[in-house]
Amino acid sequence: MVLDLQLPAVPSFEGYVAGDNAEPLFMLGEWVAGADDIRFLYLWGEAGVGKSYLLDATAARLEVAVIAPPAPLPTSLPHDAVLIVDGVDALDPDEQIRLFDHYNTLREGTGRLLATGSKPPMLLGLRDDLTTRLGWGLVYQLRALSDGDKAAALRRRAFGLGFELSDEVADYLLRHAVRDLPSLNALLERVNIEALSQRRAVTVPLVREVLLSERSL
Amino acid sequence: MSALEHCWSHCLSSLEERLGADQFRIWIKPLAAEVNADGLSLIVPNQIFLQFIRDRYLGLIEEAAGMFMGGEAPPIALKVGSAARKPAPTRTATQPAAGEATAPAVAETVAPKPMLVGGAQHETTRLNPHFSFDTLVTGKANQLARAAAQQVAENPGVSYNPMFVYGGVGLGKTHLIQAIGNLVHQRNPTAKIRYIHAEKYVADVVRAYQHKAFDEFKRYYHSLDLLLIDDIQFFVGKDKTQEEFFYAFNALVEAHKQIIITSDRYPKEIDGLQERLTSRFSWGLTVAIEPPELEMRVAILLKKAERENFKLDSTVAFFIAKNIRSNVRELEGALKRVLAYARFTNQPLTLEAAREALRDILAAGNRQISVENIQKTVADFYKIKIADMHSKKRTRDIARPRQIAMALTKEITQMSLPAIGDAFGGRDHTTVLHACRTIEEMRQGDTELAHQYGVLLQMLRS
Repeated sequence: MVLDLQLPAVPSFEGYVAGDNAEPLFMLGEWVAGADDIRFLYLWGEAGVGKSYLLDATAARLEVAVIAPPAPLPTSLPHDAVLIVDGVDALDPDEQIRLFDHYNTLREGTGRLLATGSKPPMLLGLRDDLTTRLGWGLVYQLRALSDGDKAAALRRRAFGLGFELSDEVADYLLRHAVRDLPSLNALLERVNIEALSQRRAVTVPLVREVLLSERSL
Repeated sequence: MSALEHCWSHCLSSLEERLGADQFRIWIKPLAAEVNADGLSLIVPNQIFLQFIRDRYLGLIEEAAGMFMGGEAPPIALKVGSAARKPAPTRTATQPAAGEATAPAVAETVAPKPMLVGGAQHETTRLNPHFSFDTLVTGKANQLARAAAQQVAENPGVSYNPMFVYGGVGLGKTHLIQAIGNLVHQRNPTAKIRYIHAEKYVADVVRAYQHKAFDEFKRYYHSLDLLLIDDIQFFVGKDKTQEEFFYAFNALVEAHKQIIITSDRYPKEIDGLQERLTSRFSWGLTVAIEPPELEMRVAILLKKAERENFKLDSTVAFFIAKNIRSNVRELEGALKRVLAYARFTNQPLTLEAAREALRDILAAGNRQISVENIQKTVADFYKIKIADMHSKKRTRDIARPRQIAMALTKEITQMSLPAIGDAFGGRDHTTVLHACRTIEEMRQGDTELAHQYGVLLQMLRS
C-alpha cells in the first residue's frame, strides 16, 4: 500500500508554463514589482489556463491572501492596499458594489488590484460601473497552452514527482484524457500513485488502466 | 566592439533564425547584454522573465555563443534590472518618462508612495488634482456640460444650483465635476469643498447612525461651500440616506452654497429616489454627457498618450478610436494595452503593432450584434413588446422605437436595407431609409431622443 503523502505542488512562477502568455506574465511581474503604471491588472481566460495558479503564486510572493468569491471581500480597505480577487464572475450584487467601492479607494490612493474572470470585463454581465473600471487598467487574456507546452509542463511535474515522463506517455495523456493542465496534472499524480503501489514504471498500459478504472467507477 | 559584443549580436541573429520571429520578439528582443570582466550579463526585465529565459532559452543562447567563440561559450549570467527596459522608440527623446531617472536598477517590491495632492487643505476635499478643465478633452458630447461647469466654477452657488450631470458609465462625469471643485479651490483655497461618491456618503450615514453622531454629520455636511456628490443612483432604496441628503440639500441651497450631482440617468428616471429629491434636482441645471464621437475619442487618446510621455501616431489613435467606441475608460484601457505592448516588445508603436496588441480585445468586442438583439434591447428600453417591432401598428409610442431600432440596425450591422426591412415585419427598404432619415433629423433637434439613442448605442456595444 502506498500512503498518499505527496506534497501538493506549491504554486510558483517557476512552475508556470507560459506558452503564448509571455506578455501577461511580464506585466504580472511588473505588477508584483510595484510598477507605478500597472496598478490595475485583470486576467481572463477559460477554466484551466492557470488564472488561480498565477494568483496563488503572486499572493505567496507578496504574502497577501487571494479572495475567491463567494468568499466575502474585506469590508474596508486602506487606500494603499494590495487586493487580489480570483473569479469576479461569482460576485453577488452586494459584493460587486463592494469591489466597485474598493476599486475607487485603491485608485484614489496608491493601492493595487489584481483580478481574474472567465471573460473580458465588458462581457462579464456584472454592473457596468464595475466592468468599465476593470477594463480601465491592463487587461489580458490568458491563452490555453499548446500540446507541446502541456507536454513540457507534464514532464516537469513528473520530474517533481520523481520519475521521467516518456514522450509516448505524454502523447497518450494528451490524446486520451481531459486536456486542461490541472486535470492532466491530477491524472499524472494518480498514475504515479498507482505506479508506486504496483511497483511498475509509468507506461502507456499503466495510464490506460488508470483511465479505464476511473471510467468504470 | 569587443569580441563579446560581437558574440551577442551573432547570438541574436542565430536565435532569431532558430526560434522564429514571434518567439524571438517576445523573449529574446527585450534582453539587454552587458559585457563585463566575467563574461556576458543578460539583463532581463523581471524575475518571472528570468525564470523563463533560464529554463527555456539559456541553453540555446550558450550554444549560439559557443559556436561564435569557437566551441566554448563565455560565462553568461542572467540578472533582473532596468537596463532591459529601454524606452520604446516612439517615446519622445526630450521627455523622459515620469520616474524613469529614479527607477531602481533591480526590480523589487516598492513601498507605495503617498498620494500627491495640493497641500493639506486640498487633501480634505478628496479631489484628484489631475482632474482639471485643462486636462478635460471637449467635443460635441460634452461641450454644453463643460460650458455650464465652467460657469458654475466661476460663480459657485449663484448660476445653477444644483448642477446635475448625467450620462452613461465611463464618459467623464467625475472628471468634469472634479474640475469644478479644483477650479473653485484654486480661486478660493479657503472654500470648504468635499467630493464624495454616493456609496461613501451612504457609509457615512450608516456610521453616523451606528455611533449616534448625526449632529456631527449634519454640522459637517451643512457647513460646506461646495458639495460634489457622484453617482447619486446609489441612494436608491436607502431611505435614511435620502432623508439626510434632503436636509443637507436644503441647508446648502438656502445658504447659496453649491451642490453638484452626477448620475447615470436623468433625475426623473431614477426609480426608487424620493420625489421630493428628484424635483429639487431639476431646480438648477441638468446637463447630459453623451458618448464621445470619433474625433473626440482620438483627441482623448492623443492627450492621454502625451501625459504618458508617448508620441502617439494619429493613424494609431484613429485605429483605436474607431474600434473602441463605448466609453472613455475602455478607450484608456486599450491605449494602456497598446503602450504596454510597445514596451514589452521594444517595437515602435505602428498601426500593425496596435492591431496585434488589441487582437483579443477586438475579437471580444466585435462579436456579432444581431438584429434580434437590437430589437429586444430597444423594446425593453421603451417597455413595448418585441412583437411590436414586426407589427403594423403605427401609433407613435410603437412606431418611434421601431424607427430607432431600424436606425440602430443600419448603424451597427452590415445588413442591407431590404434585409433590415424583412427583419422588421417585411417592410420595404424605402421604409427603412425613411426611418433612418427621420431619426437622424430628430437627433439634431430633440436632445432627449439624441440621448436615448446614445444610451441604446452604448448598451448594445458594451
